[in-house]
Amino acid sequence: MGKEAVIKVDSLVKKYGDLAAVNGVSFTVNRGEVFSFVGPNGAGKTTMVEILVCLRGLTAGNATVLGFNVSDRKGQQQIRKRVGVLPQDFNTFDLLTVKENLSYYKKMYDGGMDVNELIRLVDLEDKAKTLYKNLSGGLKKRLAIAIALVNDPEVVFLDEPTTGLDPKARRDVWDLIEGLRDQQKTIFLTTHYMDEAEVLSDRVVIISYGKIIAEGTPSELILKHGGKTTLIVEEGGTEAYEVLRERFPKARVDNGDVLVPINDKSDLPDAVMTLNSNKTKFAELVVRRPSLEDVFLNLTGKKIVGGELD
Amino acid sequence: MGGALRIWFRSKHTLFWTFAFPILLMLLFGAIFSVSEDPRFDFYVQNQDLINGEPSPASAAFVAMLNETGVLKLKMVDPAANTAEYIDKEGVEMMLLIPEGFHQSCFTQNASIVLKTVPPEVDTSAATVRGVVEQIVEVFNTIATGQNPPQVVTLQQESLVSENYRFIDYFVPGLIGMTLMTTGIFGAIGWNTRNRELGILKKLATTPLSKLEWIIGVVLFELVMCAVSTAVILTVGVLVFDLRVLPSIYSIILIIAGAITFPGIGMVIARFVKETDSADAAANAVTFPMMFLSGSFFPLEMMPEFLREIAKVLPLTYLNNGLRDSMVYGNASSALYNTVIVLVVGIVFIIIGSIITNWREE
Repeated sequence: MGKEAVIKVDSLVKKYGDLAAVNGVSFTVNRGEVFSFVGPNGAGKTTMVEILVCLRGLTAGNATVLGFNVSDRKGQQQIRKRVGVLPQDFNTFDLLTVKENLSYYKKMYDGGMDVNELIRLVDLEDKAKTLYKNLSGGLKKRLAIAIALVNDPEVVFLDEPTTGLDPKARRDVWDLIEGLRDQQKTIFLTTHYMDEAEVLSDRVVIISYGKIIAEGTPSELILKHGGKTTLIVEEGGTEAYEVLRERFPKARVDNGDVLVPINDKSDLPDAVMTLNSNKTKFAELVVRRPSLEDVFLNLTGKKIVGGELD
Repeated sequence: MGGALRIWFRSKHTLFWTFAFPILLMLLFGAIFSVSEDPRFDFYVQNQDLINGEPSPASAAFVAMLNETGVLKLKMVDPAANTAEYIDKEGVEMMLLIPEGFHQSCFTQNASIVLKTVPPEVDTSAATVRGVVEQIVEVFNTIATGQNPPQVVTLQQESLVSENYRFIDYFVPGLIGMTLMTTGIFGAIGWNTRNRELGILKKLATTPLSKLEWIIGVVLFELVMCAVSTAVILTVGVLVFDLRVLPSIYSIILIIAGAITFPGIGMVIARFVKETDSADAAANAVTFPMMFLSGSFFPLEMMPEFLREIAKVLPLTYLNNGLRDSMVYGNASSALYNTVIVLVVGIVFIIIGSIITNWREE
């Protein structure tokens, strides 16, 4: 896939009074990729999206979407025609059906996708005539994504699309998003779920307090900042910790589990043998490869729990 | 529009307020204040002109004529009763006294009857009755001087009634005005607050839809709502209360002007009070007083001076008056005056509302 930049952001700053919500951010998004903006609540993700879809003005720097400048009136008109947006916490008309809701938003555009096809795309066919208020949370999100696609956009902005969904519904939405990639659409995703960013994205930007702290593909980031594989001695407790700490001084206890960083080829067999010879009690042994969560932890010293920094 | 109409149709609350509430109000007020189709006013008459214990021919003839109008329900008072005491005791507001010697004095052409009234005359009925009696006196005079046997004259019913409007004629235009106001304000607020909360407005702002298009859409929708409500009210008014309505171009312009004004006011409120519940509360604070103080239900003449001053600055006052003028009285110049005022106010409000509504942050 040839690289064509569909979104270019250069030294973008957005201030509210003295508070900088976005503080000098630069990045590029290429056509056809799934690009994620990950970070805790308040990091500036939604502000970034709003600026790119021309809902808000920027304070300094500049940004273009599909070659059009977000600060330029005419540019804005062009952008609006060509992008699809799923805002955070979006709900649509309670008293309209799935199909009626889609038709409503379609009217705002010239052309766009066929409504029935769209319904099929998001797998809501048997709910086409159901009122929005009678849909489950997961199905509501599916409709919301469909609404964002109603004008067959080149770029789709999804602002925290799985927040508040149960695990099954989240998986559903992930599948949908994967499906969109097949349609050569460019997807700009914001989320505070590290696993989501890791699973879905071609490229990731980690943002905290309005600044980018890392950028790259998930594998690149994990390789650079993820740290090592970890051996988890589940429910090993202080007993396992005492047994292991001499050989593994960097081991630590976390919530009853003992986490042992594995650096060498010999580390893993050594650890297992140590536990075995001491007949240490534990629930299970799990070998965990590093993830984006580890990347974030290593870069900031914090975890994101429920969207907030911990 | 199609989507909006579907939402409206499926919202049980909205249906109630658009249809049921105006009808209920109309039936309620109509029942409370209704004077029957042929208004009959209780009229106390004390005939003291007796000959041998019986009313004299002249006085009897006069009383008979009062009766024949069909407008007065005569209640004869005992000739021997003390007039002043009777008025006091029975709480009577008006009484006709035919004095002793009436018959005689008719022939000498200096007869008089006394119409005793208790001030203040708040009722429009008092004026009506007085009018009737005066008419009778004139007719009686004509006959008496002609020295022909008194003929029973039937007064023209129409001339009396057209000078005197029934409460329902006053009320229905006021009800329409009130409905235009509540529909416009609450409708516009609903579209701007609830939808903002839901994230719909934000989503729409990402589409090519412009703020102007959105506002026009809301106004047009409210216009349709207003037209529907008006039709409902008029239909019930005509069918149930025999309302006499004169269709007029001013009525239509007034309804359009109303459909512009009140959404404009609603948008101004929604701009400052953003949450649905508070916006509704604010809207109530505006609409309820305006409803009553602008003469929708009760004639302004019945209210104290300072309230009438307030009424002069309420747009609904002019809308109500204009509707009354154009629909019931057929008073074209007055209708024009009121129409223009409402139209101007409406345009001002919609412009202000449009400007201050937040669509996108620049």
